[in-house]
Amino acid sequence: MIAYSANHPVGDFIRANLPAPLAALANGALSVVVLMVLVVVVAILLVWLERKVCARFQARLGPTRVGPFGLLQPIADSLKLLLKENIKPRAVDTLAYFLAPLLPITGSFLVLAVMPFDHNLQVADPQAGMVYIAAVSGMGILGILIGGWGSNNKYSLLGSMRAGAQLFSYELSMVLCMLLVVMASGTGSLREIVLSQQGTVRDWWIFKLPGAGALAFVLYLISSTAELNRGPLDLSEAESELAGGFHTEYSGMGFSMFFLAEFVNMFASAGLGATFFLGGFLAPQFGIGPLDHILAFIPGFIWFFAKTGALIFMYMWFRWTFPRLRIDHLLSLEWKFLLPVSMANLLLAATLVTLGWILP
Amino acid sequence: MSESMPQGPIQPAPISAAPAVSRTGAPDAVKKSGSLPPGFTLRDVRPDGSHEYFLNMGPQHPSTHGVLKLVVRLDGETVLETVPHLGFIHRAIEKMGENETFIQYMHLTDRMDYLSSHINNLCVCLAIEKAMNIGVPERGEYIRVIVCELQRIQSHLLWWGAFGMDMGAVSAFLYGFIEREKITQLFEELCGARLTMNYFRPGGSNADLPEGFIGKVKTLCEEMKFSLDEFDVLVSQNPIIRERTVGVGLLSKERAISNGCTGPVARASGVNYDVRRNDGYSIYDRFQFDVPLGANGDSFDRYRVRMDEMRQSVRILEQAAAGIPEGQYRSKEKPNYKVPAGSYFAAVETARGLYGTYLVSDNSFKPYRVKSRSPGFSNLSAIDEITRGGKIADLVTVLSTLDLIIPDIDR
Amino acid sequence: MGLTQDNSLPIPPAGSLNPAGSLNAVDWVVGWARANSLWPLVFGTSCCAIEMMATGASHHDWARFGLEVARASPRQADLIILAGTIVEKMGSRLVTLYEQMPGPKYVIAMGACTISGGPFYYDSYSVIKGADRIVPIDVYIPGCPPRPEALLYGIMQLQALIRKGAWRKSLTHQPLNTSPIRDVYSDCSKAWEIKEKAKQESMKEAQERFKAENPDFKGVVIKRVAAPKFDEVARVPKPARGMPPAEIFSALQARFPAVAVHGNADVTQEKWAALGPEYVLDLAVSREDYHGVVEFLRNEPALKLDFLIEITAVDWKDHFDVIVHLQSLDHGHKVFLRCNLPHETHPEIPTLMDLFASANWHERETYDFFGIIFVGHPDLRRLFLDDDFPGHPLRKDFEDPTRVVKRPY
Repeated sequence: MIAYSANHPVGDFIRANLPAPLAALANGALSVVVLMVLVVVVAILLVWLERKVCARFQARLGPTRVGPFGLLQPIADSLKLLLKENIKPRAVDTLAYFLAPLLPITGSFLVLAVMPFDHNLQVADPQAGMVYIAAVSGMGILGILIGGWGSNNKYSLLGSMRAGAQLFSYELSMVLCMLLVVMASGTGSLREIVLSQQGTVRDWWIFKLPGAGALAFVLYLISSTAELNRGPLDLSEAESELAGGFHTEYSGMGFSMFFLAEFVNMFASAGLGATFFLGGFLAPQFGIGPLDHILAFIPGFIWFFAKTGALIFMYMWFRWTFPRLRIDHLLSLEWKFLLPVSMANLLLAATLVTLGWILP
Repeated sequence: MSESMPQGPIQPAPISAAPAVSRTGAPDAVKKSGSLPPGFTLRDVRPDGSHEYFLNMGPQHPSTHGVLKLVVRLDGETVLETVPHLGFIHRAIEKMGENETFIQYMHLTDRMDYLSSHINNLCVCLAIEKAMNIGVPERGEYIRVIVCELQRIQSHLLWWGAFGMDMGAVSAFLYGFIEREKITQLFEELCGARLTMNYFRPGGSNADLPEGFIGKVKTLCEEMKFSLDEFDVLVSQNPIIRERTVGVGLLSKERAISNGCTGPVARASGVNYDVRRNDGYSIYDRFQFDVPLGANGDSFDRYRVRMDEMRQSVRILEQAAAGIPEGQYRSKEKPNYKVPAGSYFAAVETARGLYGTYLVSDNSFKPYRVKSRSPGFSNLSAIDEITRGGKIADLVTVLSTLDLIIPDIDR
Repeated sequence: MGLTQDNSLPIPPAGSLNPAGSLNAVDWVVGWARANSLWPLVFGTSCCAIEMMATGASHHDWARFGLEVARASPRQADLIILAGTIVEKMGSRLVTLYEQMPGPKYVIAMGACTISGGPFYYDSYSVIKGADRIVPIDVYIPGCPPRPEALLYGIMQLQALIRKGAWRKSLTHQPLNTSPIRDVYSDCSKAWEIKEKAKQESMKEAQERFKAENPDFKGVVIKRVAAPKFDEVARVPKPARGMPPAEIFSALQARFPAVAVHGNADVTQEKWAALGPEYVLDLAVSREDYHGVVEFLRNEPALKLDFLIEITAVDWKDHFDVIVHLQSLDHGHKVFLRCNLPHETHPEIPTLMDLFASANWHERETYDFFGIIFVGHPDLRRLFLDDDFPGHPLRKDFEDPTRVVKRPY
């Protein structure tokens, strides 16, 4: 076991040179700025990646004209969206219409606050980290519901009602999957969950609980795809049915906020998956001396982003392969299959933990 | 005029010979619930009309495949009644045909069902040949069969891609187009056009096949067999697709006949009718091919019938490519086409069903009246019966499996 | 459509953006962003839409230009590619869509129909002769339909326009073009003729001088490819399937003695043979017999004409013929019916909706085009045209100079 320090040198430096209340304020402001930059960079990279990955799945090239490999394409898109006319349709509920786009991005922003990017790169590490995540990710649903209602458009309303039913249902099985890890590791703090997976690859929760961990990971992938509103479970947008779903009436900034939230959410979801099941920022160790040393030499945040990236690629793979489900099929999949299975899986894991049948 | 039909016709004074039916003929349900928009007939499902609302789909909507407008009466997500509104691409082709010569009229039929433009042209040619007693040489007939079957395959390929997109599998759309592009390039070699061909003429076609065309068709047949199997793996065997199409959008055999459905839509409901087989126009009676039939008339049957049809078309293509003779590709050209007075009807099987051309001539160079019987027109008219009781997503499935081309319906 | 108010921002003339006559850095960045991020609206009405889809497909791939984010909601789109004919009924919807888009917005007219009406310019009572009558258009792409490469070139032209500063285009719409419908094609050809004549006259002197200087010049010989000669080919008629027309007719005449064969009032055995193997029974029935005859043909087990191909009408100037085409799916034979109606504003005939569900739309279409009332039809509204369309367009006496440009030849 390696003892990781939770304090970052920059934070230590500020604390050493400023009085305590001021230092806390300065550190907080610094974290917010860093996270904001991260959000923007991640969203831009993911938009580019999605368009390239999608193009490759479809035997196309994707953006090539703007910058090398079309890398500047998302920047052009976001600049354009910012400079678009902002339309407020006459019949909308003004407060709800303008409030809604802010909520999903806030929700995913708050999730990132407890995300352990590295052993000393984490804004806050509450003991009830998992509960906190379950609480703040609800803001995304709220934003979609309010936006759909406030738009005063039947397509938006249908989309947001679908989103409400879908997201509330799938949150259950997603949280149950995370609970399994919390139960096995004995802590709700995300950093400690990662640290509980120290050792070789076999000590990641996906492998450590024989069967139950892998099942929980698959269930997490499915239910988080639904949480993300991404194909094949993107029923609230469902372009071929509802034109644009909940964001039909949004243009310019409002739409770009929803657009941004979708990608940041995907990053957050994938990051949580990596944290809970794939050892987070820990380097994969295979029990082979020299190789392990080389792998451990690579900094933790790079491993975190690599694992997150792999999961994001999975999400994209799903989206560009599968057809969309119907709303009643989607809900019966959750209530009749995923929820009972994840509950049974939780029981199974509890039995394993009690009996001590965990891989050494 | 009843209150519920504010946009009805101007009613003249009744004549005695007419049967004693209500003049506007509106059923009681419409009269009682005076608030329903035009076209809706069902009684209120709940006495107070609560939980119900109307949704306008189209004319600009991604799944209506063009400019069809559907007014859907919904209870939550459940479709209670669907009323289509047409005419958003009504281009007055029949009126224009009255002022163009018979040959000029052919280029307008390209633009009706642009995915079956060769087959539409063929239908006009058949009517003119019937009227003027023009024969077609052997090679010309073979060219017609080859080109028409290529057209059928490319139409079904585009349908397959659009079906995938409507189901949410966007990549399928691109895969369909990759295969379709090969056939489009063959057409470009053939007549210079990719979409609006205007290639056939009464008595044959306006040019011979380009060099090496038959070889390319043979290669294409081999490639098609492979890619059709691939498509089956990607979409036909996908459990989500099965779940969304099997048992969805049922159309019984009786209703299919009564609604005038033809083509794959009717054959999926078990109507054993294919103009190629039953009328044997051109030389289709010489080739071995099966007419795929469905058993249940649901969306999956309509899907499967089209997939099987592509395989049968490949089969016809192989036989025709093997048997095409040398010789002249068209009979002697007429200086002009002056059709003797009378009325002439010809029917062909397009990718969507029975396409008929009805020409009325008053012994001049221009038709006195032309009428096109388009297959989509009647196929669409069954949509209310098919979608009733389903979900909105089922409505999209049904629209997709009906394979509508709106300019073909609106003309 | 009430689009007369001019809310457009003044567009500065080229070079007035700054004294140096070039764009400043901010303008450049904004233009760059807008030019490279054109999200098209999912909008296609007819044939051109297929070529637009082909442009988006793998072979041509407009994603290279950043266009693959096609939006179904106009609120998020920057560009409408008018792919296909715009007819009058769609025109008002197009204006709505255009107004729903946030500025700056761009319109590409793809294909001949949206440029001028194209092949539907003459004689069409519904096609809008050029979409620029209702929405402002930035780039025109000719073709019917234009090839995907042409569309890509048009998109690149639009990008170049935006980069040059066309992005300063007004945030809201521009005033409607309300010029009256003229026969622009005829005007053009007249102007062309005058120009040609002037050119000939101005060249006359030079030509004569050339002839005088080169008396041996015989002209350039152009080799022409000889048109291939084709032989006459005898037509092989396909015999009509199912029951012979004579038998159908005799079965029918036993029940309805007034029914006659169209064009052959008294048919004998020899005359049936003379009609040829392709002949399809063409019956002339009276209005009183019409419904009964169709009902008999449909329900008689030996005939079983259970499939209605179409119902339509022909305007013979002095009377209408309502045409019904029936077919038996089991036996294969067809029967055509025609019923003579007086040439009134709204002649009446019983509906066939109780026999065939498909009669619903066929009869609505016939009502729409000819004004024929189908008595007993529960929902006899116009099918294709707007409810306030004046008159019934397929009548021979239909005239509407505000909509129709008559073909000059």
